Amino acid sequence: MKAIIFKEMKLNLGSFLIWSLSVGTMGLLCILLYQSMQGEMQQMADAFSDMGAFSDAFGMSTLSIATLTGYFATEVGTVHGLGSAMFAAILAVGIISKEEESHTGEFLMALPVSRIKVIAAKGICVVAALIGFTVVCGAMYALGFAALNEEMPVGDFMKFMGMMLLMNFEIGGICFLVSAFSRKNRTGLGLALVLLCYFYDLIGRVVPDLKDALVLGPYSYVNASEIFSGAETKTAAVIVAVAVGVISYGAAFAVYNRRDLAS
Amino acid sequence: MEHVIEINHLTKNYGKHKGVEDVSLIVDKGDIFGFLGPNGAGKSTTIRSMLGFLRFSEGNIKILGMDSVKDHEEILKNVGYMPSEAWFYGSMSVEDAIRYAADVRGLDCSEEAAKLCEALKVDTKKKIRNLSLGNRKKVSIVCAMQHKPKVFIFDEPTGGLDPLMQKTFFDLIEGYVSEGTTCLLSTHVLTEVNKYCRHAAIMREGKLIMLDSPKIGDEEFLDFYRD
Repeated sequence: MKAIIFKEMKLNLGSFLIWSLSVGTMGLLCILLYQSMQGEMQQMADAFSDMGAFSDAFGMSTLSIATLTGYFATEVGTVHGLGSAMFAAILAVGIISKEEESHTGEFLMALPVSRIKVIAAKGICVVAALIGFTVVCGAMYALGFAALNEEMPVGDFMKFMGMMLLMNFEIGGICFLVSAFSRKNRTGLGLALVLLCYFYDLIGRVVPDLKDALVLGPYSYVNASEIFSGAETKTAAVIVAVAVGVISYGAAFAVYNRRDLAS
Repeated sequence: MEHVIEINHLTKNYGKHKGVEDVSLIVDKGDIFGFLGPNGAGKSTTIRSMLGFLRFSEGNIKILGMDSVKDHEEILKNVGYMPSEAWFYGSMSVEDAIRYAADVRGLDCSEEAAKLCEALKVDTKKKIRNLSLGNRKKVSIVCAMQHKPKVFIFDEPTGGLDPLMQKTFFDLIEGYVSEGTTCLLSTHVLTEVNKYCRHAAIMREGKLIMLDSPKIGDEEFLDFYRD
Protein backbone atom coordinates (compact mmCIF):
# COMPACT_ATOMS: atom_id res chain seq x y z
CA MET A 1 0.00 0.00 0.00
CA LYS A 2 2.94 2.30 0.75
CA ALA A 3 4.13 1.99 -2.86
CA ILE A 4 0.69 3.00 -4.15
CA ILE A 5 0.56 6.05 -1.85
CA PHE A 6 4.00 7.22 -3.02
CA LYS A 7 3.11 6.58 -6.66
CA GLU A 8 -0.13 8.59 -6.32
CA MET A 9 1.71 11.42 -4.61
CA LYS A 10 4.34 11.47 -7.32
CA LEU A 11 1.73 11.43 -10.08
CA ASN A 12 -0.15 14.31 -8.44
CA LEU A 13 2.88 16.35 -7.38
CA GLY A 14 2.81 18.61 -10.45
CA SER A 15 -0.86 19.46 -10.04
CA PHE A 16 -0.36 20.00 -6.31
CA LEU A 17 2.51 22.44 -6.84
CA ILE A 18 0.71 24.36 -9.59
CA TRP A 19 -2.50 24.76 -7.61
CA SER A 20 -1.04 25.44 -4.17
CA LEU A 21 1.57 27.90 -5.44
CA SER A 22 -0.95 29.62 -7.74
CA VAL A 23 -3.61 30.09 -5.08
CA GLY A 24 -0.98 30.93 -2.44
CA THR A 25 0.67 33.47 -4.74
CA MET A 26 -2.67 35.06 -5.63
CA GLY A 27 -3.45 35.40 -1.92
CA LEU A 28 0.02 36.74 -1.18
CA LEU A 29 -0.22 39.32 -3.98
CA CYS A 30 -3.65 40.41 -2.72
CA ILE A 31 -2.17 40.98 0.73
CA LEU A 32 0.85 42.85 -0.65
CA LEU A 33 -1.45 45.09 -2.71
CA TYR A 34 -3.23 46.19 0.43
CA GLN A 35 -0.81 49.02 1.25
CA SER A 36 -0.96 50.54 -2.22
CA MET A 37 -4.78 50.48 -2.07
CA GLN A 38 -5.10 51.57 1.55
CA GLY A 39 -5.96 55.20 0.64
CA GLU A 40 -8.98 54.19 -1.43
CA MET A 41 -10.10 51.49 0.97
CA GLN A 42 -12.04 53.74 3.37
CA GLN A 43 -14.29 55.02 0.59
CA MET A 44 -14.79 51.48 -0.69
CA ALA A 45 -15.49 50.24 2.82
CA ASP A 46 -18.18 52.89 3.32
CA ALA A 47 -19.76 52.06 -0.03
CA PHE A 48 -19.62 48.30 0.50
CA SER A 49 -21.04 48.45 4.01
CA ASP A 50 -24.12 50.26 2.74
CA MET A 51 -25.37 47.67 0.25
CA GLY A 52 -27.96 45.92 2.44
CA ALA A 53 -28.20 42.18 1.90
CA PHE A 54 -25.16 42.12 -0.36
CA SER A 55 -23.03 43.68 2.38
CA ASP A 56 -24.24 40.88 4.67
CA ALA A 57 -23.59 38.27 2.00
CA PHE A 58 -19.97 39.30 1.64
CA GLY A 59 -19.57 40.04 5.35
CA MET A 60 -18.76 43.67 4.80
CA SER A 61 -21.36 44.89 7.26
CA THR A 62 -19.45 43.28 10.11
CA LEU A 63 -15.84 43.72 8.99
CA SER A 64 -14.29 46.80 7.39
CA ILE A 65 -12.42 46.19 4.16
CA ALA A 66 -10.26 49.18 5.13
CA THR A 67 -8.43 47.05 7.71
CA LEU A 68 -5.95 44.39 6.59
CA THR A 69 -7.96 41.70 8.39
CA GLY A 70 -11.17 42.79 6.68
CA TYR A 71 -9.40 43.08 3.35
CA PHE A 72 -7.85 39.63 3.81
CA ALA A 73 -11.20 38.09 4.75
CA THR A 74 -12.98 39.61 1.76
CA GLU A 75 -10.37 39.13 -0.94
CA VAL A 76 -8.23 36.17 0.10
CA GLY A 77 -11.25 34.44 1.66
CA THR A 78 -12.86 34.27 -1.77
CA VAL A 79 -9.67 33.36 -3.64
CA HIS A 80 -8.77 30.56 -1.22
CA GLY A 81 -12.36 29.37 -0.83
CA LEU A 82 -12.79 28.85 -4.56
CA GLY A 83 -9.20 27.90 -5.43
CA SER A 84 -8.77 25.27 -2.73
CA ALA A 85 -12.18 23.72 -3.41
CA MET A 86 -11.42 23.50 -7.14
CA PHE A 87 -8.13 21.77 -6.36
CA ALA A 88 -9.89 19.34 -4.00
CA ALA A 89 -12.55 18.60 -6.62
CA ILE A 90 -10.12 18.11 -9.52
CA LEU A 91 -7.82 15.89 -7.48
CA ALA A 92 -10.51 13.71 -5.93
CA VAL A 93 -12.85 13.35 -8.90
CA GLY A 94 -10.14 11.78 -11.05
CA ILE A 95 -8.03 9.81 -8.61
CA ILE A 96 -10.01 6.55 -8.84
CA SER A 97 -11.69 6.82 -12.23
CA LYS A 98 -8.43 7.62 -14.02
CA GLU A 99 -7.38 3.98 -13.64
CA GLU A 100 -10.22 2.83 -15.83
CA GLU A 101 -10.16 5.82 -18.15
CA SER A 102 -6.47 5.37 -18.92
CA HIS A 103 -6.74 1.54 -18.84
CA THR A 104 -4.21 1.19 -16.01
CA GLY A 105 -6.74 -0.51 -13.71
CA GLU A 106 -5.84 -4.02 -14.86
CA PHE A 107 -2.14 -3.40 -14.25
CA LEU A 108 -2.84 -2.11 -10.74
CA MET A 109 -5.55 -4.60 -9.79
CA ALA A 110 -3.53 -7.59 -10.97
CA LEU A 111 -1.02 -6.77 -8.24
CA PRO A 112 -1.60 -8.45 -4.87
CA VAL A 113 -3.47 -5.63 -3.19
CA SER A 114 -7.15 -5.49 -2.31
CA ARG A 115 -9.46 -2.85 -3.69
CA ILE A 116 -9.94 -1.55 -0.13
CA LYS A 117 -6.19 -0.91 0.13
CA VAL A 118 -6.10 0.78 -3.27
CA ILE A 119 -8.96 3.09 -2.28
CA ALA A 120 -7.37 3.72 1.13
CA ALA A 121 -4.07 4.66 -0.53
CA LYS A 122 -5.84 7.05 -2.88
CA GLY A 123 -7.92 8.52 -0.04
CA ILE A 124 -4.76 9.07 2.03
CA CYS A 125 -3.17 10.80 -0.97
CA VAL A 126 -6.17 13.15 -1.32
CA VAL A 127 -6.21 14.05 2.38
CA ALA A 128 -2.41 14.54 2.47
CA ALA A 129 -2.55 16.79 -0.61
CA LEU A 130 -5.33 18.89 0.94
CA ILE A 131 -3.35 19.29 4.16
CA GLY A 132 -0.23 20.19 2.14
CA PHE A 133 -2.23 22.70 0.10
CA THR A 134 -3.51 24.36 3.28
CA VAL A 135 0.00 24.51 4.78
CA VAL A 136 1.58 25.99 1.62
CA CYS A 137 -1.13 28.63 1.18
CA GLY A 138 -1.26 29.40 4.93
CA ALA A 139 2.50 29.94 4.99
CA MET A 140 2.30 32.30 2.00
CA TYR A 141 -0.52 34.33 3.55
CA ALA A 142 1.43 34.56 6.83
CA LEU A 143 4.41 35.74 4.80
CA GLY A 144 2.22 38.52 3.39
CA PHE A 145 1.22 39.73 6.85
CA ALA A 146 4.88 39.63 7.94
CA ALA A 147 6.02 41.54 4.83
CA LEU A 148 3.58 44.33 5.64
CA ASN A 149 4.70 44.33 9.28
CA GLU A 150 1.09 43.84 10.32
CA GLU A 151 -0.01 41.77 13.25
CA MET A 152 -1.89 38.65 12.24
CA PRO A 153 -4.90 37.51 14.29
CA VAL A 154 -3.37 34.05 14.74
CA GLY A 155 -6.38 32.37 16.36
CA ASP A 156 -8.85 33.54 13.71
CA PHE A 157 -6.36 32.79 10.94
CA MET A 158 -5.83 29.22 12.14
CA LYS A 159 -9.60 28.75 12.45
CA PHE A 160 -10.06 30.12 8.92
CA MET A 161 -7.48 27.75 7.43
CA GLY A 162 -8.82 24.82 9.49
CA MET A 163 -12.39 25.43 8.31
CA MET A 164 -11.19 25.75 4.72
CA LEU A 165 -9.44 22.39 5.10
CA LEU A 166 -12.68 20.86 6.41
CA MET A 167 -14.55 22.33 3.42
CA ASN A 168 -11.93 20.89 1.07
CA PHE A 169 -12.27 17.51 2.83
CA GLU A 170 -16.06 17.63 2.37
CA ILE A 171 -15.99 18.60 -1.32
CA GLY A 172 -13.09 16.19 -1.90
CA GLY A 173 -15.16 13.43 -0.28
CA ILE A 174 -18.16 13.99 -2.54
CA CYS A 175 -15.89 14.03 -5.61
CA PHE A 176 -14.05 10.90 -4.36
CA LEU A 177 -17.40 9.11 -4.28
CA VAL A 178 -18.20 10.34 -7.80
CA SER A 179 -14.81 9.00 -8.88
CA ALA A 180 -15.55 5.57 -7.34
CA PHE A 181 -18.76 5.34 -9.41
CA SER A 182 -17.31 6.68 -12.61
CA ARG A 183 -15.27 5.12 -15.40
CA LYS A 184 -14.30 8.51 -16.80
CA ASN A 185 -12.68 11.57 -15.31
CA ARG A 186 -15.51 13.92 -14.31
CA THR A 187 -13.49 17.11 -13.81
CA GLY A 188 -16.32 19.22 -15.21
CA LEU A 189 -18.74 17.75 -12.71
CA GLY A 190 -16.34 18.39 -9.84
CA LEU A 191 -15.84 22.03 -10.79
CA ALA A 192 -19.59 22.48 -11.30
CA LEU A 193 -20.14 21.13 -7.79
CA VAL A 194 -17.76 23.74 -6.36
CA LEU A 195 -19.45 26.60 -8.20
CA LEU A 196 -22.88 25.30 -7.26
CA CYS A 197 -21.94 25.17 -3.57
CA TYR A 198 -20.47 28.68 -3.74
CA PHE A 199 -23.54 30.02 -5.52
CA TYR A 200 -25.83 28.27 -3.02
CA ASP A 201 -24.05 29.99 -0.14
CA LEU A 202 -24.14 33.38 -1.87
CA ILE A 203 -27.86 33.17 -2.60
CA GLY A 204 -28.55 31.82 0.87
CA ARG A 205 -26.94 34.89 2.39
CA VAL A 206 -28.84 37.34 0.16
CA VAL A 207 -32.29 35.72 0.43
CA PRO A 208 -33.42 35.84 4.08
CA ASP A 209 -35.77 32.81 3.73
CA LEU A 210 -32.87 30.56 2.79
CA LYS A 211 -30.65 31.43 5.76
CA ASP A 212 -31.66 28.39 7.82
CA ALA A 213 -30.77 26.05 4.96
CA LEU A 214 -27.28 27.52 4.63
CA VAL A 215 -25.79 24.95 7.03
CA LEU A 216 -26.20 22.28 4.35
CA GLY A 217 -23.66 23.96 2.09
CA PRO A 218 -19.90 23.61 2.57
CA TYR A 219 -19.31 27.36 2.24
CA SER A 220 -21.54 28.16 5.23
CA TYR A 221 -18.80 27.60 7.81
CA VAL A 222 -15.88 29.06 5.86
CA ASN A 223 -17.19 32.62 5.56
CA ALA A 224 -13.99 34.54 6.33
CA SER A 225 -15.77 37.72 7.39
CA GLU A 226 -17.73 35.81 10.03
CA ILE A 227 -14.61 34.01 11.25
CA PHE A 228 -12.46 37.16 11.48
CA SER A 229 -15.25 39.20 13.10
CA GLY A 230 -15.47 36.58 15.85
CA ALA A 231 -18.93 35.26 14.93
CA GLU A 232 -19.61 31.81 16.32
CA THR A 233 -19.41 28.97 13.81
CA LYS A 234 -22.67 27.07 13.44
CA THR A 235 -22.10 23.65 14.99
CA ALA A 236 -24.76 22.11 12.75
CA ALA A 237 -22.82 23.18 9.65
CA VAL A 238 -19.64 21.54 10.93
CA ILE A 239 -21.50 18.35 11.88
CA VAL A 240 -23.07 18.21 8.40
CA ALA A 241 -19.63 18.73 6.80
CA VAL A 242 -17.95 15.98 8.82
CA ALA A 243 -20.89 13.62 8.22
CA VAL A 244 -20.97 14.29 4.46
CA GLY A 245 -17.19 13.86 4.23
CA VAL A 246 -17.03 10.63 6.23
CA ILE A 247 -20.10 9.10 4.54
CA SER A 248 -18.77 10.01 1.09
CA TYR A 249 -15.36 8.46 1.67
CA GLY A 250 -17.00 5.39 3.27
CA ALA A 251 -19.49 5.02 0.42
CA ALA A 252 -16.63 5.27 -2.09
CA PHE A 253 -15.02 2.22 -0.43
CA ALA A 254 -18.29 0.27 -0.56
CA VAL A 255 -19.07 1.18 -4.18
CA TYR A 256 -15.61 0.46 -5.54
CA ASN A 257 -15.31 -2.79 -3.64
CA ARG A 258 -18.46 -4.19 -5.22
CA ARG A 259 -18.49 -3.06 -8.79
CA ASP A 260 -17.02 -4.57 -11.95
CA LEU A 261 -13.86 -2.92 -13.23
CA ALA A 262 -13.64 -1.94 -16.87
CA SER A 263 -10.65 -3.17 -18.85
CA MET B 1 -2.44 -34.33 -10.72
CA GLU B 2 -2.67 -31.07 -8.79
CA HIS B 3 -5.41 -28.70 -10.05
CA VAL B 4 -3.98 -25.19 -10.27
CA ILE B 5 -7.06 -23.56 -11.82
CA GLU B 6 -10.50 -24.93 -11.06
CA ILE B 7 -13.57 -23.13 -12.37
CA ASN B 8 -16.95 -24.56 -11.40
CA HIS B 9 -20.17 -23.54 -13.15
CA LEU B 10 -19.09 -19.93 -13.63
CA THR B 11 -21.85 -17.62 -14.83
CA LYS B 12 -21.41 -13.92 -15.29
CA ASN B 13 -24.28 -11.72 -16.46
CA TYR B 14 -24.04 -8.15 -17.73
CA GLY B 15 -27.58 -7.04 -17.03
CA LYS B 16 -29.81 -9.20 -19.22
CA HIS B 17 -26.88 -10.26 -21.41
CA LYS B 18 -24.97 -13.40 -20.40
CA GLY B 19 -21.19 -12.92 -20.49
CA VAL B 20 -20.32 -16.54 -19.71
CA GLU B 21 -22.68 -19.34 -18.85
CA ASP B 22 -21.98 -22.37 -16.69
CA VAL B 23 -18.29 -22.55 -17.51
CA SER B 24 -16.29 -25.30 -15.82
CA LEU B 25 -12.59 -25.75 -16.43
CA ILE B 26 -9.62 -27.46 -14.82
CA VAL B 27 -5.99 -26.64 -15.54
CA ASP B 28 -3.38 -28.89 -13.96
CA LYS B 29 0.06 -28.01 -12.67
CA GLY B 30 2.72 -27.61 -15.34
CA ASP B 31 0.20 -27.26 -18.18
CA ILE B 32 0.24 -24.67 -20.94
CA PHE B 33 -3.47 -24.39 -21.52
CA GLY B 34 -4.74 -22.79 -24.73
CA PHE B 35 -7.87 -20.72 -24.34
CA LEU B 36 -9.38 -19.97 -27.72
CA GLY B 37 -12.47 -18.34 -29.10
CA PRO B 38 -13.88 -15.51 -31.19
CA ASN B 39 -14.03 -11.92 -29.95
CA GLY B 40 -16.76 -11.50 -27.37
CA ALA B 41 -17.00 -15.26 -26.71
CA GLY B 42 -16.25 -14.81 -23.01
CA LYS B 43 -12.50 -15.52 -22.71
CA SER B 44 -11.65 -12.17 -21.15
CA THR B 45 -14.75 -12.31 -18.95
CA THR B 46 -13.58 -15.68 -17.60
CA ILE B 47 -10.04 -14.40 -17.03
CA ARG B 48 -11.25 -11.14 -15.45
CA SER B 49 -13.54 -13.14 -13.14
CA MET B 50 -10.57 -15.30 -12.10
CA LEU B 51 -8.56 -12.21 -11.19
CA GLY B 52 -11.38 -10.52 -9.26
CA PHE B 53 -11.96 -7.66 -11.70
CA LEU B 54 -15.52 -8.85 -12.22
CA ARG B 55 -18.03 -9.97 -9.62
CA PHE B 56 -19.59 -13.12 -11.07
CA SER B 57 -23.20 -14.16 -10.61
CA GLU B 58 -22.87 -17.91 -9.99
CA GLY B 59 -20.23 -20.58 -9.53
CA ASN B 60 -16.85 -20.52 -7.91
CA ILE B 61 -13.21 -20.30 -8.93
CA LYS B 62 -10.26 -21.84 -7.16
CA ILE B 63 -6.69 -20.98 -8.02
CA LEU B 64 -3.90 -22.91 -6.29
CA GLY B 65 -6.63 -24.34 -4.06
CA MET B 66 -7.68 -20.89 -2.85
CA ASP B 67 -11.05 -19.22 -3.35
CA SER B 68 -10.83 -16.39 -5.89
CA VAL B 69 -13.08 -14.10 -3.85
CA LYS B 70 -11.98 -14.79 -0.26
CA ASP B 71 -8.27 -15.28 -0.97
CA HIS B 72 -8.02 -12.74 -3.76
CA GLU B 73 -4.91 -10.99 -2.49
CA GLU B 74 -3.06 -14.24 -1.70
CA ILE B 75 -3.87 -15.61 -5.16
CA LEU B 76 -2.51 -12.51 -6.89
CA LYS B 77 0.79 -12.94 -5.06
CA ASN B 78 1.23 -16.15 -7.04
CA VAL B 79 -0.15 -14.98 -10.39
CA GLY B 80 1.55 -13.17 -13.24
CA TYR B 81 -1.08 -11.55 -15.45
CA MET B 82 -0.60 -9.92 -18.79
CA PRO B 83 -3.66 -8.03 -20.09
CA SER B 84 -4.33 -7.76 -23.81
CA GLU B 85 -3.86 -4.00 -23.93
CA ALA B 86 -0.83 -3.65 -21.61
CA TRP B 87 -1.35 -0.08 -20.37
CA PHE B 88 0.82 1.58 -17.75
CA TYR B 89 1.12 5.05 -16.24
CA GLY B 90 2.35 7.13 -19.18
CA SER B 91 4.54 9.48 -17.14
CA MET B 92 6.54 6.60 -15.63
CA SER B 93 9.75 5.31 -17.16
CA VAL B 94 9.91 1.61 -18.02
CA GLU B 95 12.21 0.86 -15.09
CA ASP B 96 9.91 2.77 -12.70
CA ALA B 97 6.88 0.77 -13.90
CA ILE B 98 8.72 -2.54 -13.48
CA ARG B 99 10.05 -1.55 -10.05
CA TYR B 100 6.61 -0.28 -9.01
CA ALA B 101 5.03 -3.67 -9.79
CA ALA B 102 7.72 -5.35 -7.65
CA ASP B 103 7.38 -2.76 -4.85
CA VAL B 104 3.62 -3.31 -4.55
CA ARG B 105 4.40 -7.03 -4.25
CA GLY B 106 6.92 -6.16 -1.54
CA LEU B 107 9.65 -8.02 -3.44
CA ASP B 108 13.05 -7.21 -4.88
CA CYS B 109 12.79 -8.67 -8.36
CA SER B 110 15.63 -6.65 -9.86
CA GLU B 111 17.75 -9.65 -10.83
CA GLU B 112 14.97 -11.51 -12.63
CA ALA B 113 13.69 -8.27 -14.18
CA ALA B 114 17.15 -7.49 -15.57
CA LYS B 115 17.36 -10.98 -17.06
CA LEU B 116 13.93 -10.62 -18.68
CA CYS B 117 14.66 -7.11 -19.97
CA GLU B 118 17.83 -8.38 -21.59
CA ALA B 119 16.07 -11.34 -23.20
CA LEU B 120 13.23 -9.18 -24.51
CA LYS B 121 15.48 -6.22 -25.40
CA VAL B 122 13.53 -3.77 -23.26
CA ASP B 123 14.86 -0.20 -23.12
CA THR B 124 14.28 0.56 -19.44
CA LYS B 125 15.12 4.26 -19.73
CA LYS B 126 12.26 5.14 -22.07
CA LYS B 127 9.03 6.75 -20.90
CA ILE B 128 6.01 4.45 -21.12
CA ARG B 129 4.13 7.07 -23.14
CA ASN B 130 6.75 6.80 -25.90
CA LEU B 131 6.43 3.03 -26.31
CA SER B 132 4.67 1.21 -29.14
CA LEU B 133 2.11 -1.50 -28.33
CA GLY B 134 4.76 -4.19 -28.89
CA ASN B 135 7.18 -2.55 -26.48
CA ARG B 136 4.44 -2.02 -23.88
CA LYS B 137 3.68 -5.74 -24.20
CA LYS B 138 7.31 -6.55 -23.49
CA VAL B 139 7.16 -4.42 -20.32
CA SER B 140 3.96 -6.24 -19.40
CA ILE B 141 5.72 -9.60 -19.86
CA VAL B 142 8.50 -8.47 -17.50
CA CYS B 143 5.94 -7.32 -14.90
CA ALA B 144 4.09 -10.65 -15.18
CA MET B 145 7.21 -12.84 -14.92
CA GLN B 146 9.69 -11.00 -12.70
CA HIS B 147 8.32 -12.39 -9.42
CA LYS B 148 8.44 -15.98 -10.76
CA PRO B 149 4.76 -16.73 -10.10
CA LYS B 150 3.20 -20.16 -9.87
CA VAL B 151 0.55 -19.28 -12.46
CA PHE B 152 0.70 -17.23 -15.65
CA ILE B 153 -2.48 -15.82 -17.11
CA PHE B 154 -1.90 -14.24 -20.51
CA ASP B 155 -4.65 -12.53 -22.48
CA GLU B 156 -3.67 -12.33 -26.16
CA PRO B 157 -0.03 -11.76 -25.28
CA THR B 158 1.68 -11.90 -28.66
CA GLY B 159 -0.30 -9.24 -30.58
CA GLY B 160 2.16 -6.46 -31.44
CA LEU B 161 5.26 -8.59 -30.78
CA ASP B 162 7.58 -9.30 -33.71
CA PRO B 163 8.20 -13.00 -34.59
CA LEU B 164 11.57 -13.09 -32.81
CA MET B 165 10.05 -11.66 -29.62
CA GLN B 166 7.15 -14.11 -29.90
CA LYS B 167 9.65 -16.95 -29.95
CA THR B 168 11.59 -15.47 -27.03
CA PHE B 169 8.34 -15.09 -25.12
CA PHE B 170 7.41 -18.75 -25.57
CA ASP B 171 10.95 -19.84 -24.73
CA LEU B 172 10.62 -17.92 -21.47
CA ILE B 173 7.24 -19.53 -20.75
CA GLU B 174 8.61 -23.01 -21.38
CA GLY B 175 11.54 -22.25 -19.11
CA TYR B 176 9.29 -21.27 -16.20
CA VAL B 177 6.84 -24.13 -16.92
CA SER B 178 9.72 -26.62 -16.75
CA GLU B 179 10.27 -25.36 -13.20
CA GLY B 180 6.62 -25.99 -12.24
CA THR B 181 4.72 -22.91 -13.35
CA THR B 182 1.31 -23.31 -14.99
CA CYS B 183 0.15 -21.15 -17.89
CA LEU B 184 -3.30 -20.19 -19.15
CA LEU B 185 -2.92 -18.67 -22.59
CA SER B 186 -5.82 -16.85 -24.23
CA THR B 187 -5.13 -16.39 -27.93
CA HIS B 188 -6.53 -16.24 -31.44
CA VAL B 189 -3.38 -17.74 -32.94
CA LEU B 190 -3.88 -21.42 -33.71
CA THR B 191 -0.19 -22.06 -34.41
CA GLU B 192 0.70 -20.96 -30.87
CA VAL B 193 -1.81 -23.46 -29.47
CA ASN B 194 -0.67 -26.24 -31.78
CA LYS B 195 2.99 -25.66 -31.01
CA TYR B 196 3.10 -24.84 -27.33
CA CYS B 197 -0.13 -25.89 -25.57
CA ARG B 198 -0.69 -29.27 -23.98
CA HIS B 199 -4.45 -28.85 -23.54
CA ALA B 200 -6.94 -26.42 -24.99
CA ALA B 201 -10.55 -25.29 -24.86
CA ILE B 202 -12.64 -23.04 -27.06
CA MET B 203 -15.17 -20.54 -25.85
CA ARG B 204 -18.11 -19.69 -28.02
CA GLU B 205 -21.09 -17.50 -27.11
CA GLY B 206 -20.25 -17.68 -23.43
CA LYS B 207 -19.93 -21.48 -23.30
CA LEU B 208 -16.81 -23.59 -23.05
CA ILE B 209 -15.98 -26.60 -25.18
CA MET B 210 -12.97 -28.73 -24.18
CA LEU B 211 -10.85 -29.95 -27.08
CA ASP B 212 -9.59 -33.54 -27.17
CA SER B 213 -6.25 -32.25 -28.37
CA PRO B 214 -4.73 -28.81 -28.94
CA LYS B 215 -3.49 -30.01 -32.29
CA ILE B 216 -6.46 -29.15 -34.47
CA GLY B 217 -6.64 -28.25 -38.14
CA ASP B 218 -7.31 -24.81 -39.58
CA GLU B 219 -10.79 -25.63 -40.85
CA GLU B 220 -11.93 -27.21 -37.60
CA PHE B 221 -10.55 -24.18 -35.78
CA LEU B 222 -12.23 -21.68 -38.10
CA ASP B 223 -15.54 -23.50 -37.75
CA PHE B 224 -15.69 -22.26 -34.18
CA TYR B 225 -15.45 -18.68 -35.45
CA ARG B 226 -18.21 -19.15 -38.05
CA ASP B 227 -21.85 -18.47 -37.22
